[in-house]
Amino acid sequence: MDNALPTGKLSRGKVVGKALLKIGAKKTKRFVTNGDKTQNHEEIADIIFDALGELKGVSVKIAQQVALGMPFLPPEYLEKISKSFNAIPSINKALVRKIIKTELGHYPQDTFESFEMTAFAAASLGQVHLATKDGEQLAVKVQYPGIKKSIESDMSLIHFGMKRFAKGQNVDHIVGEIEARLYEEVDYLLEAKNCDFFRENIDNKNIVIPKVYPALSTEKVLTTSFLEGLNFDSYMANNPTQEEINNYAQLIFDTFFYALYTLKHIHADPNPGNFLFLENGKLGLIDFGCVKRVEDEFLTQYNQLHLNLLEENDDQSIIQQYVTLGMIEEENEEEMLTFYTEIIKPLDTLYKEPLVGDSYDFKANNDFSKRGFEMIFEVQQKQFHSVHKLNEQFLFINRTLLGYYALFEKMGARIETGYVKDLMQKHNKQTQK
Amino acid sequence: MKISQSAKEKTKIKILQSAVDLIIEKGFDNASLREMAKNAGVSNPTIYNYFPSKEKLLYAYIEQKHKEAVASLQEIEDFHTYTLREQLQTLIETELELYLEDREFIIQIADMVFHASGLKMGKLYETNARFIETVDEMLSIAIEAEEIAEPPFREHLPKLFWDYYIMVVAYWVKDDSEMFENTTQFIDHSLGLAEAVLHSDILSKASDLGMFFFKTHMLNSLQKFATKQESFSKIKRKLGEVLHG
Repeated sequence: MDNALPTGKLSRGKVVGKALLKIGAKKTKRFVTNGDKTQNHEEIADIIFDALGELKGVSVKIAQQVALGMPFLPPEYLEKISKSFNAIPSINKALVRKIIKTELGHYPQDTFESFEMTAFAAASLGQVHLATKDGEQLAVKVQYPGIKKSIESDMSLIHFGMKRFAKGQNVDHIVGEIEARLYEEVDYLLEAKNCDFFRENIDNKNIVIPKVYPALSTEKVLTTSFLEGLNFDSYMANNPTQEEINNYAQLIFDTFFYALYTLKHIHADPNPGNFLFLENGKLGLIDFGCVKRVEDEFLTQYNQLHLNLLEENDDQSIIQQYVTLGMIEEENEEEMLTFYTEIIKPLDTLYKEPLVGDSYDFKANNDFSKRGFEMIFEVQQKQFHSVHKLNEQFLFINRTLLGYYALFEKMGARIETGYVKDLMQKHNKQTQK
Repeated sequence: MKISQSAKEKTKIKILQSAVDLIIEKGFDNASLREMAKNAGVSNPTIYNYFPSKEKLLYAYIEQKHKEAVASLQEIEDFHTYTLREQLQTLIETELELYLEDREFIIQIADMVFHASGLKMGKLYETNARFIETVDEMLSIAIEAEEIAEPPFREHLPKLFWDYYIMVVAYWVKDDSEMFENTTQFIDHSLGLAEAVLHSDILSKASDLGMFFFKTHMLNSLQKFATKQESFSKIKRKLGEVLHG
């Protein structure tokens, strides 16, 4: 069948328009029949993601981003999104040859010693090919032509759609952030820079980060050294021991917080596809398309807030810190308290749960993400019409963490929190000075 | 004096390139064969020997690019692992790639073909033998390998593909997107559609539809409009050829 990516404002607009028309009809139906809400969400999720499926490419990425960026999204949407993870359109051999020639100046056979025309993995908005040059095994990521241009039209669908379902919760801010992140993600040169940054600064012998080949990289082609390892699903299918699982989860967990507190950067995409499980308990980090820089001032406030949360300080002082962070809008005390207890508190209780004790067993708490989604769904049902901007750095950190927790739960891992708490305390002491 | 085939070929390419450069610089009408000869470093009689007219030179250029494209395809070691669609797409993309450095020249030709009366579209068809032969070969292999079923109008498909190719070039000439990304997508999408058609039995359905129209309407109207019995049977024969192969 035709795998083509619909492009051009007119044709995309038509697909978008059709989807919105369908949603409109469903919404009306619900008001008329006062039917079951859950059922309705499922239907709408179907319609939206059918439309997104038709748009393909960027939309899939947007869908992922929306899922991660909107903790208030009903679980039906998240389920749909998770299905779309590997649905990026494939780039056929003719196109791969053409892209390599356009981007690197020569056809694959003249650029590399060998080049596998069939991709071995899907990647963000493209696919990855195995190649060799000067005896080195390389991973060459190529991007579908025209992706960048279609971001804009796809985002207008997301913006319109999300506005309808977010019921007054802030959307503009997140949509803007997602759009910016997508533009960054289609720029492979930026990804190369981020990859180099992490490679140079992560000082852990168990973390392996590929080497970038700048002479073979452009905005649309990224060449790095090839890492030989298993992806998440294959790794888990091999029945690893509990100890191995725990070690990997610990490595992921500690590295995330190390990057946050020491490098002030986070790898803000918890997609398990970004990890490779290598020999001897080493972990490969690949795909640096979604890296977020964290500002010093924010980090200090964020850290203090979380230390306070862990120390179970009173709500009033915590609310003040949320106000400083821009997560709660300054208004009268009673309203702030209601907003906090109804919306924020259930969420932060969830986020901090694994951090409270010295260790946390995701195997024993294998309902963590289920409880999480249910709570988010519950929060989502509450009608809060006050529209204010939420701090996007805050959301990005916590959505990433939630993604990792869901991953640890899938692994059935147990993590120790000592190292991370030390980092938090150390950072606090340094900034207090 | 005898000149070897390869020396002849070299001279031809040299003349073609200096002709292209001169036409880009001065325009087709103002570029003289005399000056082309001078730039290529050959004598006047020599250039007339190779190209009796400027028009002939254009057709030779197009044929030359077909030849180079096919040679480029032959360099692809695993070309046999490409699907029919990938092979056709590679052919078109390679031709465009070859046109890229002479783009200004191609724009002039396209202008003459589609707008001015300078060149006849039909004349261009005389240049397509190698292209059609290549497409025909790809198609035969795909059928033989049972990648696709024998499609109706089989023998007309390569010519149809040439028409499609001319359309792509016309699109490319007008394409102002970055790195001609729009053309790349246009090719990808349209060939995706063509692939879908070849893999389904839409074509044979179209053939059924064609026969239906032919029997019920065309014959009637042809009989009505045909003044001479002769020309009518000629047209009928021709249509029969198209529909039955």
